[in-house]
Amino acid sequence: MCRRAARHERAGSSVSLPILPAAREWPSVLLATAAAESQEAAVPAEAWEAYRHAVRSLTPDAVISLISESGLRGRGGGGFSTGAKWRHCASQPVQQRTIVANGFEADPGAQVDRTLMESAPHAVVEGVAIAAWAVRADSAVIVVRASATTAASRLREVIAAAEAQGTIGPEASETGRPLRIEVRQLAGSFVVGEETVLLRALEGRRAEPDQRPPYPSERGLWDTPTVVNNVKTLAAVPWIVRHGAGAFASLGDREAPGTTLLQLGGAVRRPGIVEAPLSATIREVLDGPGGFVQGKLKAVLVGGPTGGFLPADALDTPLGYGALAEAGALAGSGTLLALDTSTCLVDLASLMTRYLGDQACGKTIPCRIGTRRLAELGGAMCSGHVRPGDRGLIGDLASDIRDAALCRLEAGAPNPLISGMRHFAAEFDEHIERGRCPAGVCQPIALAAVAR
Amino acid sequence: MTDTLPQIRQPGVDEAAERLLTTQAPQRRLSSPAFSIEIDGRTLTGRAGQTILEVCRDNGIEVPTLCYEPKLPGFGACRMCVVEVDGEDAPPISCSRAAEPDMVVRTQTPRLRQIRQTNLELIFSDHNAYCLPPCQNKCPSHIDIPGFLKANTEGDFTESARIFKRTIPFPSILGRVCPAPCEEHCRRDEVEEAIAIRDSHRYAGDQVLKAQAAGARPPRPFDQQPATGRRVAVIGSGPAGMSAAYYLALDGHAVTVFERDPEPGGMLRYGIPQYRLPKVEVLEAEYEAVWDLGVRLVVDAELGRDFTVDDLQNEGYDAVLVAIGCYDTNELGIPGEDADGVIDGLEYLRIATLGLPYPGHAGTRVVVIGGGFTSMDCSRTSIRQGCSEVTLVYRRDMKDMPAANEVHEMLEEGARAIFQASPTRILTDPAGKVTGVEFQRMALGEPDASGRRRPEPMAGTEFVIDCDRVLLAIGQAPDLGWLGRGADGVRASSRGRLEADAVTFGTGRAGVFGTGDVRTGAATVVEAVAEGRRASYAIDAWLQGQDLEAIRTRQILAEPQPEFLSIVPYTAEVKEPRIRLRAMAPEERNRSYVEYEIPYTQTEAMRESARCLQCTCEAIGYCDLRRQGIEYGTTLRSLEPSRTGLSSRSVAENRFTGTNHDYIRDDSHAFILREPSRCIDCGRCANVCKEVVGAACYDFMRTGFDTLVTTPLDMSLNTTPCVSCGRCAETCPTGALMPKPRVLEKYEVDESRCILCGICVDACPYDALRCGPDFELAHDSREEPMIDLLAISAMDRDTEISYVRRERDWLARAQADGRDVPRQRLLPMLPASLAGNGAAHGRQREGAARSAGPGPTHAHHR
Repeated sequence: MCRRAARHERAGSSVSLPILPAAREWPSVLLATAAAESQEAAVPAEAWEAYRHAVRSLTPDAVISLISESGLRGRGGGGFSTGAKWRHCASQPVQQRTIVANGFEADPGAQVDRTLMESAPHAVVEGVAIAAWAVRADSAVIVVRASATTAASRLREVIAAAEAQGTIGPEASETGRPLRIEVRQLAGSFVVGEETVLLRALEGRRAEPDQRPPYPSERGLWDTPTVVNNVKTLAAVPWIVRHGAGAFASLGDREAPGTTLLQLGGAVRRPGIVEAPLSATIREVLDGPGGFVQGKLKAVLVGGPTGGFLPADALDTPLGYGALAEAGALAGSGTLLALDTSTCLVDLASLMTRYLGDQACGKTIPCRIGTRRLAELGGAMCSGHVRPGDRGLIGDLASDIRDAALCRLEAGAPNPLISGMRHFAAEFDEHIERGRCPAGVCQPIALAAVAR
Repeated sequence: MTDTLPQIRQPGVDEAAERLLTTQAPQRRLSSPAFSIEIDGRTLTGRAGQTILEVCRDNGIEVPTLCYEPKLPGFGACRMCVVEVDGEDAPPISCSRAAEPDMVVRTQTPRLRQIRQTNLELIFSDHNAYCLPPCQNKCPSHIDIPGFLKANTEGDFTESARIFKRTIPFPSILGRVCPAPCEEHCRRDEVEEAIAIRDSHRYAGDQVLKAQAAGARPPRPFDQQPATGRRVAVIGSGPAGMSAAYYLALDGHAVTVFERDPEPGGMLRYGIPQYRLPKVEVLEAEYEAVWDLGVRLVVDAELGRDFTVDDLQNEGYDAVLVAIGCYDTNELGIPGEDADGVIDGLEYLRIATLGLPYPGHAGTRVVVIGGGFTSMDCSRTSIRQGCSEVTLVYRRDMKDMPAANEVHEMLEEGARAIFQASPTRILTDPAGKVTGVEFQRMALGEPDASGRRRPEPMAGTEFVIDCDRVLLAIGQAPDLGWLGRGADGVRASSRGRLEADAVTFGTGRAGVFGTGDVRTGAATVVEAVAEGRRASYAIDAWLQGQDLEAIRTRQILAEPQPEFLSIVPYTAEVKEPRIRLRAMAPEERNRSYVEYEIPYTQTEAMRESARCLQCTCEAIGYCDLRRQGIEYGTTLRSLEPSRTGLSSRSVAENRFTGTNHDYIRDDSHAFILREPSRCIDCGRCANVCKEVVGAACYDFMRTGFDTLVTTPLDMSLNTTPCVSCGRCAETCPTGALMPKPRVLEKYEVDESRCILCGICVDACPYDALRCGPDFELAHDSREEPMIDLLAISAMDRDTEISYVRRERDWLARAQADGRDVPRQRLLPMLPASLAGNGAAHGRQREGAARSAGPGPTHAHHR
């Protein structure tokens, strides 16, 4: 394991990261109200403005159309159009619908969602309320990691205040529309962050994914049509209602308008959270707010374990969905881990694969056994016990795992090895053909070389 | 009141199938709207609410699945039922995907097969279990080795021989001449030493021969079928021909064996010396079992000389099997080969094996060239015939010799051996008589196709061995001179052998078959016997008018050789070394033609057999994993010896290896046996137990690679709310959950206490009780064990018998509906004597006494 990366990962999970100043020209959407909220228990001036506007002057359908026009897409990694998802849910011919705001944030060390919920709880709760109005849901759940106690309590404070005020709650006198929002703290493995797994976990069942379709927007929590959105997605909703779809659509990239929250970690001078438009490139984010890299930058791990490695010369890739996917990475959790030359990619990719295999639920065969075999193949490279044909085998197995995948963890599990092999072929070659670890990380090889 | 009782009817087979249909078919309203859907190019009717898999099953299209349970919604764990849908990139799984109007679905494409194969290989890389034990897999004839060893342990040597004779008719002969490939793979070797498998069946066979000498008839593995009126001519009375004759006669055909020599036996008689295989006491005595079935023998009749294939067919033989072996010794192709004193090894053995002295052999210096069994026999017989110096020369290394395990015995008896040398010329005196042989040293190069290192000559290393005689034993080829005479349509292969299919054994001419060495080239006795038996199956099927191409498929299903993992170390505490046969001292035996190995005593035989670990899986015959493993080529595809080119994959070729789990067997429960190492975590038992039975004894435990479907905290099944319904064992696609073999007396139902709750009906795994318009108690007797339990109890484990679940799954449904059953789904070929057993299931005892008092007459609604 790359020691440096490990230290940063560990550090990230226990200490709150600062919110970094964004570049001057970057818009502030998700954290627009954060400054006001940074004072304890302060209520931002705009709080509930958007919700009241939606409830009083817009029909649910109009809200959905507004969100569709804005071009807002899911920030959890999938990038599905939020408006389309809401519309599908709203069109289900049943009475009861549910909103689930996914703030579980399964990535080890990631605290993007947590920071958002701590610093802008009003935006999240209001986004949930607007979504509920749009799809006519009368109950909503915000899922928070069990360890994110500050986030949970701030969300609960906001909800309690709004209920007391009559904005939401069982008897929402202000809007005349009952809405119950609940904050649930869940503990569990990486796979719990996956949407169908999250629903099963909320129902108190074993955390295992279900086959889609039917999508949760058709059959979700307790079999009701359910909108599952990331909290980053929902936090953008009040801003859109306040400023209009056009204003949002004009922010950043046309394909992927709006901003997202990123966590900068690893070999950067200033680790922290930053809000950046999706049109910004990785270099701009790392260079500016991150204060660039200590040592020589080698690669960036984008989007946590299921994301992918980008080489140093691909840093001009914008954060938007299409370009990043083309480069072999996934925005996923929104973490950017800068890796310097002291990191061994073979070692780190194997470790990620092993981590994902261990965190899997074990339901499907290709995931349960296949990810372990992938990790073992990667491990063999690190220890110099690689067999001829292993490289091709990793590729074959990865494509079979992806094709038959049940959930996003399974589909993403081969990403570290595959993206590593794609961009760092020379380093893999060194391990496979010459038994050398250029970074000097893989110890067994080094030892074997000394013995020879 | 009694006249309202429903009539007890005797359900016929069709009715039983129908009953399965009605109770097991997926529940859906027939009124739901129908639409058309295209699957595999066929336009089919689906109904709203059906999944793609249900539509496929209703129409006899098999989509493989391991985790699908027809009573429950799709679970999606195994990813085997992936299908391709037009317009979708990622293949959806058919058990969970709703069928939609105008969908275009494909269930078999290279991509899907690739995904399924990967899944199966992944399962096998963590499947710490066997189908057939490795010994049985490695035996060319797939003898039920654990089966006969178990009978040996119990002292029932006749039963042991009977089990042996299911696949090889000659336990005593093979007990002497078999190179025992099985023993090399015995798992007991992980503890201390492999079981003496060959010596054990030799003992059992000898006991039968002893009883035979006292007047008993030889035991038969199956009842002989009634005469079919078909006549079969078998040409050649060697191991292949006689084995084919034996099984053909058991199938009820009239068999005549034609033999060129004055006595039957072929290579067994004329190629293997007396000291290894006594001719009268063993060979002739064991052949008695074949004559006992009514097989006729014609001696002194040579194919091509005394009769032709045309003649036989004109005489009215419905099938002709050519099993004439290999008798043409290969030539060296070096100068001086035709010198006086260069002798064909087989010619020599022909006289010498019978114990007769070969003219002028005593006192000479002999060089034997070759490394096979023939060379060994030549050397050892030459010593016995008083040659002053015997030198065996082989061009490869000792470990590459086919007869390597006999070398040390040969050396003990006084011969010399030289390895890695090849003859370059034979030296002669002016009279043309041999004076010596010049050899050249060989270096071992890269491994060749056989896996052995190819010998390459080293220049300048020539040396000479002085000798008087040279015996050539460098392999044989078949004599195919008869092909030109009255055998139109039968051809030779490019390798100079008889052209015959490896599965159907058909030659180019209808009704003419070829088997044994003449087809494969010179091989071991056990391979020849296996060839003969399989040829008999093919001929029998052909005589019944079946399609030979269909047989190819069925043969593959009936005799698969799946091997899943490299051998998992077995480390028992108790060490009990192998009991070895004692032998006569070398200096004593090298003068004698008497058999030199001293057989076991009965105690020794029983003790040695008791060391067997009994590795066989009880689920053989209805394991879905095995079936799909075979179908998707993740296992060895057939039992063919490698030289036939049909054994396509081996365990080492599973692309995935790595850590695997070894769980502990739980046999604490009275009715259900749990073998978690065979579990593939499909979740069927957990879902059925939870959703159908309501007991919830099983669930997924742990995460990631270590996930296991097991009882809470992995404890004994006795600690769960188990109601012993057996549903879990019934749904288990592998042998991880098994009903324990047991014999029940009878269940009494106290109808006065019955509240018509229907739970027993729900829970009964075999539908012995059912809800009708009136609540009816089935009066099945359980005095006899049910047929499936009987089979599970390892009596018939080398045969493939299908049971309730397979019937239920879809074959019976398809047949009951009169639908075409795809060829590859036909049940494996069974020996006819076993095939009849299935009808016993569901039998209702005639005139079963109804319990006293009026039965319940209330309509019972669920």
